[in-house]
Amino acid sequence: MAGLTRTAGAYSVTPHKISVCILLQLYAPSAQMSLPFPFASVSQHNRLGLYLLSLTKSCDDIFEPKLEDLVNQLREVGEDMDAWLIDHLTNRFSSLTSPDDLLNFFTDMRGILGSLDSGAVQDDQIILDPSSNLGMFVRRCILAFNLLSFEGVCHLFSSLEVYCHSSSAQYDASNDNLESLIQHDQMDMEKYIMDKATEEIELHKNASGSVPFHLHTPKALFKVTEGLLVTRKEKSRGNTKKTEATPLACSSSSTVDDTLVDESLFLRTNYQIQGFLMEQANAIETHGSSLSSSSIESFLQKLQNLAPELHRVHFLRYLNKLHSDDYFAALENLLRYFDYSAGTEGFDLVPPSTGCSMNGRYEVALLCLGMMHFRFGHPNLALEVLTEAVRVSQQISNDTCLAYTLAAMSNLLSEMGIASTTNVLGSSYSPVTSTASSLSVQQRVYILLKESLRRADSLKLRRLVASNHLAMAKFELMHVQRPLLSFGPKASIRHKTCPVSVCKEIRLGAHLISDFSAESSTMTVDGSLSSVWLKDLQKPWSQPVFSQESGSRKSSTFFQFCDHSVSIPGSVSQIIGASYLLRATSWELYGSAPMARMSTLVYATLFGDTSSSSDAELAYLKLIQHLALYKGYKDAFAALKIAEEKFLTLSKSKILLLKLQLLHEHALHRGNLKLAQRMCNELGGLASTTMGVDMELKVEASLREARTLLAAKQYSQAANVAHSLFCTCHKFNLQIEKASVLLLLAEIHKKSGNAVLGLPYALASISFCQSFNLDLLKASATLTLAELWLGLGSNHAKRALDLLHGAFPMILGHGGLELRARAYIFEANCYLSNPCFSVSTDSDTVLDSLRQASDELQHLEYHELAAEALYLMAMVYDKLGRFEEREEAATLFKKHITALENPQDEELNMA
Amino acid sequence: MFSKESCRNEIRAAIRQLSDRCLHSAAKWAGEQLVGIEQDPSHFTPSNTRFQRGSSSIRRRFSSTNESFSTPQLSLGFSQPPATPIPEEDEVVDGDLYLLAKSYFDCREYRRASHVLRDQMGKKSVFLRCYALYLAGEKRKEEEMIELEGSLGKSDAINRELVSLERELSALKRTGAVDSFGLYLYGVVLKEKGNESLARACLVESVNSYPWNWSAWSELQSLCTSIEILNSLNLNNHWMKEFFLASAYQELRMHSESLSKYEYLHGIFSFSNYIQAQTAKAKYSLREFDEVEIMFEDLLRNDPYRVEDMDMYSNVLYAKEACAALSYLAHKVFLTDKYRPESCCIIGNYYSLKGQHEKAVMYFRRALKLNKKYLSAWTLMGHEYVEMKNTTAAIDAYRRAVDINPCDYRAWYGLGQAYEMMGMPFYALHYFRKSIFFLPNDSRLWIAMAKCYQSEQLQMLEEAIKCYKRAANCGDTEGIALNQLAKLHQKLGRNEEAAFYFEKDLERMDAEGLEGPNMYEALIFLATHLKTNKKFDEAEVYCTRLLDYSGPEKEKAKRLLRGIRMAQTGFPSMDMEHFPL
Repeated sequence: MAGLTRTAGAYSVTPHKISVCILLQLYAPSAQMSLPFPFASVSQHNRLGLYLLSLTKSCDDIFEPKLEDLVNQLREVGEDMDAWLIDHLTNRFSSLTSPDDLLNFFTDMRGILGSLDSGAVQDDQIILDPSSNLGMFVRRCILAFNLLSFEGVCHLFSSLEVYCHSSSAQYDASNDNLESLIQHDQMDMEKYIMDKATEEIELHKNASGSVPFHLHTPKALFKVTEGLLVTRKEKSRGNTKKTEATPLACSSSSTVDDTLVDESLFLRTNYQIQGFLMEQANAIETHGSSLSSSSIESFLQKLQNLAPELHRVHFLRYLNKLHSDDYFAALENLLRYFDYSAGTEGFDLVPPSTGCSMNGRYEVALLCLGMMHFRFGHPNLALEVLTEAVRVSQQISNDTCLAYTLAAMSNLLSEMGIASTTNVLGSSYSPVTSTASSLSVQQRVYILLKESLRRADSLKLRRLVASNHLAMAKFELMHVQRPLLSFGPKASIRHKTCPVSVCKEIRLGAHLISDFSAESSTMTVDGSLSSVWLKDLQKPWSQPVFSQESGSRKSSTFFQFCDHSVSIPGSVSQIIGASYLLRATSWELYGSAPMARMSTLVYATLFGDTSSSSDAELAYLKLIQHLALYKGYKDAFAALKIAEEKFLTLSKSKILLLKLQLLHEHALHRGNLKLAQRMCNELGGLASTTMGVDMELKVEASLREARTLLAAKQYSQAANVAHSLFCTCHKFNLQIEKASVLLLLAEIHKKSGNAVLGLPYALASISFCQSFNLDLLKASATLTLAELWLGLGSNHAKRALDLLHGAFPMILGHGGLELRARAYIFEANCYLSNPCFSVSTDSDTVLDSLRQASDELQHLEYHELAAEALYLMAMVYDKLGRFEEREEAATLFKKHITALENPQDEELNMA
Repeated sequence: MFSKESCRNEIRAAIRQLSDRCLHSAAKWAGEQLVGIEQDPSHFTPSNTRFQRGSSSIRRRFSSTNESFSTPQLSLGFSQPPATPIPEEDEVVDGDLYLLAKSYFDCREYRRASHVLRDQMGKKSVFLRCYALYLAGEKRKEEEMIELEGSLGKSDAINRELVSLERELSALKRTGAVDSFGLYLYGVVLKEKGNESLARACLVESVNSYPWNWSAWSELQSLCTSIEILNSLNLNNHWMKEFFLASAYQELRMHSESLSKYEYLHGIFSFSNYIQAQTAKAKYSLREFDEVEIMFEDLLRNDPYRVEDMDMYSNVLYAKEACAALSYLAHKVFLTDKYRPESCCIIGNYYSLKGQHEKAVMYFRRALKLNKKYLSAWTLMGHEYVEMKNTTAAIDAYRRAVDINPCDYRAWYGLGQAYEMMGMPFYALHYFRKSIFFLPNDSRLWIAMAKCYQSEQLQMLEEAIKCYKRAANCGDTEGIALNQLAKLHQKLGRNEEAAFYFEKDLERMDAEGLEGPNMYEALIFLATHLKTNKKFDEAEVYCTRLLDYSGPEKEKAKRLLRGIRMAQTGFPSMDMEHFPL
């Protein structure tokens, strides 16, 4: 309300602050006071000081601790003299019997502060520096008390009484509530009980046939009432456990509980609350929807009741709703936050260096709104909003926001399939439009990224720089760089992606780890350190060996303290973790399985616990996929089970997707086409229906559909699906997917016996792979090409074999089980169809390959291929006259064939 | 059959009972209705009619249609089941202690009053004791709210008597030892504690057993936030129910339903100031300003020291830009009671009209100090901030209005306007959409939204056209929509549509007798368009109309006419130069 009630930085005296003051009096007794000095050692004294410091700074809750909690903590801190400290505290409180005592107390407090100019300090006297943290605390308390009106002092006094007797008072209050609750709907309850009772009676009647009415009714009645009362009691104590025993109980108690705020609770200082909210925001962002949204909502509600002018609450609520996928509530709260505070609240902790104008920060609102639309899958709306954000940021020259907006925009454009942006970006952003208005989407993404990177660099926004580098790496990975304006002889034309620059960008992104410190605000670091320190008090000591003597116990705490102080902020480690994930992805694309696996493992071990849950999920996903490809399905499904437990609660869980993928693959291999089709359909059903959203998923689904059709020998349909998929990929510029679609088309033609038609597709796929450096895919395309050549006739066997041998190192070094087996079988096939090759002389070359292939296919349960390998093997043995081995191979062959023909039987057996 | 006389008797008894229980505002309301009943012409005395003289003038001017059907309804409606009998007092003679307590209460010494009655067990005494306790708690709450106001607007001051009152009243209710007044108080307490459904049930029970307590009805009305809730109430038929429904409909923005209820009630309470004011309110929402102004003038003549609802009157005067009348009104309420939120609001309106926005803001703030939930003051303050180009503050003020009552379309509209001013039209659209949701038949809102779409940043012309169409269908009084529709179609090269809308716009201007650049534009376009389509006769008509005006348009019309002639004759003739014009 722009200053109608707000007095900035106001600070109020609360009972808890008085306790801290009392403890401070002990920590630094003034000369006039004749208190005994209770500390046995300097370290003990320091420990109390550290504790008090933490109390004034920690941000682990919105409420100040109650006396009870304080006493408990003192027990942890105080060691030998805890009893003494607690005694003193309670005595001091009981000596405050009138408002006048309070006045005197604060006058005394002045004594513990050293004056700024006094040079003569006695040796044994401890003096609180007025400009130290604790000194400031005392001064603020004294000031706030002096500003109080008499009414204020009276309020403080009465709340002190509540504070001292909080435990008992609270008990009374809850009893009151309970009583009134019961009276509320006595009628309903009586009715309910009667119903229950009659039900029970009827049950008895059915059971025994006779009704011992006079015995059972009162008992049943009593039982039910008792049950009700118990659940009520639990609820009114404010436990978060919701047992939901009866719908009646919760319906009546909820409203009353929410509106009544416990009077013995006071809010912490503004800084502490802001720090706490910031931590909560981080938690919401990292853990996503696995965090219980209702518990956050309840504390936000309390906070809003107590501090209606703290608008940050609305922002937190927005975050919470965003992560629990509640579009309308998220939108409403986002708008509300920016309407109330103009987006300036909560940012005041960061020095207002750049672009903070008097007009508020509505451009940040636009940025947030854009990202929200992005998350909810409204790409066009998001683009509109972000365009407006760019315009407004430029208008009021907020470069920071502009840099972030451009990054968000490029992210949006690269993630969402947007066919053309001419109408959207047309007039908005001059650097983009000035170069050319007919740029393709990728070129726009590139320009936006560059622009954002440049600004972020000059503004020293390290995190943004790092994430921009990663985005750039992703871009380089996926797109062939062409100069924007190429003319003249010097314009280099390379039609290849450049792995070196990808690597360079990833490294630049990871540089963040060395210089993140500039940005982190000291307030939150202090606050979170203090709360960690306080939490450690409650933890049981991990090393029982050291806890024998008190000296080392302290040193261990000290090290823990230090340990935390060098720890890396969550956001930094998240970005660095992301760089490892990206590294894994790029190795995956480039075709190095071991490197990809290693990067993922590094990520999972080092960043698994600090990263956001969706990133962690991705890492698990990659590892499981790796298992499925290289170790077979049994291991993969076992691992999937573990991952499912961990991640299935997430809102947009990719685990389900992975599961469907694995099941589909498995079904295809075992020849259970119906199941495969079903999985495929379910996969398609996961994608959003909006154009351009969930592109990856949609491509995946139709790719799998084509493969299923291919397996069912519906060649023309499969080719149709693949063709339309290729068109989609072309429209949305999905180059890498294009390569695999082309390969699939080649496969389809190969299987349909149309080798001539397949050749151009295979060649096209290979050239795509070359320009994007997709080595493994290229090897697999080469294999297909070789197969196509062989399909043209046995006179091409030599050429096919040469091609295969060229690709062999890649396939054997990095390929999965299926690819390797295929290569082996094909090699054998080549030899066998070569007229110059004689089985009798050179049988081992063929048999080795085939044996290898059939072993690997056993793991994969790929019946069709396994049968082929075994068939060939049997034939070779037959030629060689090794009948025993032939029979063995033949029986195995038969087994696979029957399994392939009756996939359902096997399902039943497994079940 | 129900007669005015019996109605009068009921109210007379009720007033006595209500004021005996210190329910002063309910008694006041009942008193107003009592003198609002038309006197029996056979035995009215001159003093009785003094209240009623003025309103006849307005009735003569506006009620020609109303009277025709309000009379038959009267007999229809009130011949319903026998009215609730007036309950007998349980303590016929008030005890001495009760008398003492009542006088304490009247001197606003609530705690003392409740203390005097501490051991009294009669229903009446119990009620007065609880009520006094409740008011004492409320008073303390108000004080605490100011004392405890912290940096973040901490306002957790609560009425500390609520818990004990709730306990006692619920115990009494269970034993059945509570009368309808006790039920009313219980309902109020429950509402404060947030238990709305139970509160509603209690209040319904209370008004069913004793319908003359208007305070109970208005509490009940504040709990009816949707029409579904309203319809689910199980209320006995009584003429008080009609009052309740009328006011509930008004709050739910069903203005015409509410108006018809008030007209119906007007048949019996023909001189009730309350009904007149409420009718004016409803008509204000329907934007019939002239009529509303006359009604308020009339009201003020009868009841010159009235402050209630006068902020609405000031809004009307503001809309009609009647500075002098507004200042007169402001002066009057200022002398009557300057510390009423309404008074501050009126003065704020006056300064706003005079363009002194800082002062206006000061008075709106004062109004808000007096009542933090005073909706219209927040909205009006937002308007002032917009005038002062302080958009941030304006947005804040509007948002507060919206959070108090999410149905306040003015504040939503204001939010949209403020964001549009800051060059964020796309962001503003959301707010315009909200405001249109609550008032879909207002052309101004549609036009505002269309302008947003049309802004140079967005250039979403198709959407703009859709909005203008809606505006034109809603009866656009300012005549922007048709003109814009025509221009937009022209811009998009759809000449047929453009011609259609220009023609419509021309018709409108002709009907209203307007002239101006829009007129020339329409005529020129139509003439050119018809000429290119070879409809020369019609084109000529428009050209000749243009000839009536002076300036460049005339020259253009001449040239067009020349062209038409040329085309008609089929060959370029030298004679054309000498064509007499």
